[in-house]
Amino acid sequence: MEYLQFLIIIILSPLVNGIIKKLKANMQGRVGPGILQPYFDLTRLFKKDMVVSHVTSWVSRLTPYIVFSSTVAATMVVPVVSNNVAFSTIADLIAIVYILGLGRFFMALGGLDAGTAFGGEGSSREVTVAVLVEPMMMLALFTPAISAGSTNLLKVSGQEVALYTPSHLLAFSAFLVAIIAETGRIPVDNPDTHLELTMIHEGMLLEYSGRYLALMEWAHYIKQMLLFTLAVDIFFPAGITSSGDPLSIVISTGIYLLKVLFMAFLMAIIESTRAKMRFFQLPSLLGGAFVLALLSLLSYVMMGR
Amino acid sequence: MKNWIQVFSVIDLVSVGILLTAIAMNGMKRLESCVKAYAVNSWLLSALIAIVAFMIGEFHLYIASLVTFLSKGIVIPIFLRKVVREMKVTHEIEPYISNALSLTISGILVAIVYASLKEGIFVTGLSRNVLQISLAVILIGLFAMITRRKAITQVIGLLFMENGLFLAGFSLTYGMPMIIELGVLFDMLMGVIILGIFAVQIRRAFASSDLDKLTILKG
Repeated sequence: MEYLQFLIIIILSPLVNGIIKKLKANMQGRVGPGILQPYFDLTRLFKKDMVVSHVTSWVSRLTPYIVFSSTVAATMVVPVVSNNVAFSTIADLIAIVYILGLGRFFMALGGLDAGTAFGGEGSSREVTVAVLVEPMMMLALFTPAISAGSTNLLKVSGQEVALYTPSHLLAFSAFLVAIIAETGRIPVDNPDTHLELTMIHEGMLLEYSGRYLALMEWAHYIKQMLLFTLAVDIFFPAGITSSGDPLSIVISTGIYLLKVLFMAFLMAIIESTRAKMRFFQLPSLLGGAFVLALLSLLSYVMMGR
Repeated sequence: MKNWIQVFSVIDLVSVGILLTAIAMNGMKRLESCVKAYAVNSWLLSALIAIVAFMIGEFHLYIASLVTFLSKGIVIPIFLRKVVREMKVTHEIEPYISNALSLTISGILVAIVYASLKEGIFVTGLSRNVLQISLAVILIGLFAMITRRKAITQVIGLLFMENGLFLAGFSLTYGMPMIIELGVLFDMLMGVIILGIFAVQIRRAFASSDLDKLTILKG
């Protein structure tokens, strides 16, 4: 029963995106689409025909499946509501980051494959951002890993972490910047626009349509919720149950959903109050977050909390 | 209440906040944001003094905290902001090194301080981490003074150094006698005012507050 907990992420991830959109619209004084809109979009895309350019190779046709399955594989090792995870032995922080890295690699290849200008632009930007984000994300994750004595996610989420110690607070703020960059949100990328010269994530998806586009979009939603789950698992682990009886699972599911809603709220606030940065200013934001992560590690090692 | 302060490691949080505002100053382009960072830094400093005063029950530390708040937290920032407005220089144009690089270097400075104070000096109690953080703030202030062109950012770097020195002295002695603290504060207030007027005068004489221009004085 608990082994199916990753389905929560897969099924609810479009809903989370809808909620963020709705919250953002309300904060900006608009009505906005309903929170179920991402589901409608996905079903419509799944029904539509695909147009695949005849100049593309097998990479384009394989990419959506690899992106989707690598993201789903990463969700399978993350404790969502219970500590009994199907693949607990490989639930490793470094593994999760690089399983997601596999998906990103193929997404960038897929953007390049069709040979359009926008696709190449999107891919090159995505990889530039990834190069800056990855070390920062790993450093931010190492602080809780050191305090747990293991990079196994179950051990990290099982410890009694105090969020309010300086090192965890710093690591959390660095990880928040990493989430923003990874999910393509303002100030790094604007998720609401197509066909702008500034796009990163959308640029790579321009050549995809129909079922492929649906898979890529869905994978993006899943990745977003997966990162939220990682953040709440690592930085506010209270509420994850380790027993298998139904009542405690229901309770911890409720707590988990509240925590994810909190993260969604945080994202909506950040997106509504910040302006998008110029692409060439991003290194200064991400470098700042890198310093935060470095300080967090240092103050953990030196202060011991 | 005292328990809560210990449990939530409030002292560590506030002192890390002091460190963060000093680092953030290095990443800022607008001069007014630098002044704001200094103001927040001073507020956190006075909050730290007040918390320690509460923990060890010393009355004269409350006065020190209040005086710090009034002078460094309110008077000096307001004065500096006025100087910035008067000079009509809102942005630091081309610092010697880029902001991302100076952020990284200040991170490295913190690492050096932590690594070099790891053993050798034994300070225990409340100030175990505060001493390291104060030395880091001193170094970061010095670094800002070295790498910035504008006269006003050099003043801000000096002020950060002073905050760090104050914190270092405070963490080792739990507050010097009142009269010394007052003297230091008064000296600093005068120093800032003189430097502020000086910066405005430099601006008037050279039509720029860029300190590199001072070298044209050479015969």
